[in-house]
Amino acid sequence: MSLNNLMLNVEGLIKEFGNFRALDGADISVKEGKILGLAGPNGSGKTTFINVVSGVYKPNGGKIFFNGKSIYKLEPHKIVHLGLNRTFQVPKPLSGLTVEQNVKVAAVYGSKEGNTKDKINSALSSVELDNVKHKEASSLTSAQQKLLGLARALATNPKMLLIDEIAAGLNQHELKRIADMLIKLNKFGITMIVVEHLMSFLDILTDDVVVMNAGVNLFRGSIKEASMNEKVVEVFLGR
Amino acid sequence: MLKKRIGSFGIILIIALIFIFLPFVYNNQSFLFNMMLYIALAEGLNIIYGFTGYLPFGYVGFFGAGAYSASLAILFLHFPPLLSIFIGGMGALLVGVVLMPLLKLSGAYFAIANLAASQALYYIVANPNLESITHGPYGISLASVYNPHASYYTMLAVLVLSMIIVLFIRTSNFGLSLLAIKEDRITASLAGVNVAKARAIAWGLSAFIAGLSGASFAWYVSVFYPGTVFSLNISVIVIVFALFGGIGTIAGPLVGSLILYSFYNFIGISTPQYFQLLYGILIIVLVLFLPDGITSILQKRKIYVP
Ligand SMILES: Nc1ncnc2c1ncn2[C@@H]1O[C@H](COP(=O)(O)OP(=O)(O)OP(=O)(O)O)[C@@H](O)[C@H]1O
Ligand SMILES: [Mg+2]
Repeated sequence: MSLNNLMLNVEGLIKEFGNFRALDGADISVKEGKILGLAGPNGSGKTTFINVVSGVYKPNGGKIFFNGKSIYKLEPHKIVHLGLNRTFQVPKPLSGLTVEQNVKVAAVYGSKEGNTKDKINSALSSVELDNVKHKEASSLTSAQQKLLGLARALATNPKMLLIDEIAAGLNQHELKRIADMLIKLNKFGITMIVVEHLMSFLDILTDDVVVMNAGVNLFRGSIKEASMNEKVVEVFLGR
Repeated sequence: MLKKRIGSFGIILIIALIFIFLPFVYNNQSFLFNMMLYIALAEGLNIIYGFTGYLPFGYVGFFGAGAYSASLAILFLHFPPLLSIFIGGMGALLVGVVLMPLLKLSGAYFAIANLAASQALYYIVANPNLESITHGPYGISLASVYNPHASYYTMLAVLVLSMIIVLFIRTSNFGLSLLAIKEDRITASLAGVNVAKARAIAWGLSAFIAGLSGASFAWYVSVFYPGTVFSLNISVIVIVFALFGGIGTIAGPLVGSLILYSFYNFIGISTPQYFQLLYGILIIVLVLFLPDGITSILQKRKIYVP
C-alpha cells in the first residue's frame, strides 16, 4: 500500500493544559480499512489524542489530515460530516432521551446519506441494543451506554472511528462479543483506532499497535514485538 | 408525530377560539390581554429555556426592546401599527444577535450576564440624555394609534404564533437536536449537530416572540414608562409561570400561566397580603414536590403531554 491511502495522518500533535503538555508531538497514522491499536499507561495522552482529533479539544500545534484534508481545529460536527467519529471512555449519553432518540439525532444530523429509519435500525442492531430502544438512556448500564455511544457514532455513517476503552471492565465473554462486533464493522469498511489497556483484547483485533508514553508515540509494531521492546516494557513495568 | 401535531394543533385552536370569543361575554379585557401576554412570553421563554436549558433571567430585555422598537417606528417613522409590531420583534431579535456571545457562558453565568444586559438596556433607554429619541424616563405615549381591539387581536396572533413555534420545535428533528444540546453539548456536536447554529436559532425565535409581545403590549396600553417594560418582575413572573406548568412542552407554560395568572388576578388584587403568602408557599411546594412542573404528573405516568 502506498502513502496516499492514509485515512488519518497526524503529525507532531501538541495539546497543552496550562503549561502541561498532554500531547507532545505525537505522530500517528492509519491506512484505510485497517485497525490500529493504541496502548499506553494511564495519563499517556490516548484520550487527549482522540479528543483533539475529533475536534472536542483545540490543539496547540501539529497537523491532522483526514482523507488528505486538514481537519486541524475544525469543529466536531464538521469532522463528523467528513466521516470521522469517536466513542467516549466515560460514556456521555443524552440521558433524558430514549436509546432510539439518542441514535436518531445522529442519524438525522450526522450524515445526509441514507434513510433515517434504516440508519437507526442498523446502528442499533450492530451493537445489539435494539431490544432496549424505548428505554431512557440513563437507565442503561455503563457498558450499554458505551455501546449506545458506538451506535450514535455508527448512525453518522463514519468512514473511521476512534474507540476509547470500550471493553474496560467487561468479562471475558463480553470482551469477545465486543471484539467480534468491531471486527465485523471493520469488515464493512470502517477504519479504526482502538484505544485499550488490555493487550489481549487488541490482539484479537489487530497486529498493528502504537504504544504512547508522555504524549508521544514510543513504539509501533506488532504486539509480540511490543512485548519484547525494552522501552515499552520499561514504561509499562516501570510505573 | 403527525398525530401528536394534530393533537397540539387542537389545543392551539381551542385557546385561539377562547380568546376570540371571551371578550364578548367577559368584559375584563385587560385581564384577557395580560393572560395572552403571559402565555406568549412563557412559551417564548420555553423555546430557549425548555429546549436548550439556558435560563434567560434578562428575558424582559427583549420585551422592552420590542415595546420601544415598535413605539419608535410609530412615532418617528410613522409606520402603521402592525408593521411596527413586526419591527418590535425585529428590534428584539437584533438585541438577541448582539447578546449571542452570552450563549458561550453556561449555567448561572449566562443567567446573570443576561440579567445585567437587560438592565443595561433599561438604563440606556431611560437615560435623560436620550430624551429626544426614547423620551428617557418620561415614557412613551402612542395615543395617536390607540386601539384596544386591534391590539388585543394582534396579541392573540402573537400568542398563536408562539404556540405554533413551540409545537414545531416539540415535534421536529430540530427540537430533538435542541434537547440533545440541552443534555450534552459535546455529544450533540458529535452526532453532527451544529450546536452554535441550533441554539442561535432558538435564541432568536425566543427573542422575537418576546419582542412581538412587548410591541403588542405597548400598542395596547399606549402609555408606558421604561420601568414598566423593563421590569425584572416580568422575567421572574414568566419564569415562574413556565416552571410551574412544566417546560419543554406547549401545555406546560400554557397551564402554568392560566392557573397562576388567574390566581394572581382573583386573589392578588383584592387581598395582596394573602396572595404573596400563598404564592410563596405554592412555589416552595412546587420546587420540593414537583420540580418539573404540574404537567410532569402526567409525564411520569407515561402520558404524552403536548
Ligand atoms: N481537560 C483536561 N484538563 C487538564 N488536564 C487534562 C485534561 N484532560 C487530560 N488531562 C491530562 O492529560 C494527561 C493525559 O490524559 P489522557 O486522559 O489523555 O490519558 P489516557 O492515556 O487516556 O489515560 P487513561 O489510560 O487513564 O485513560 C493526564 O495527565 C491528564 O491528567
Ligand atoms: Mg483515556
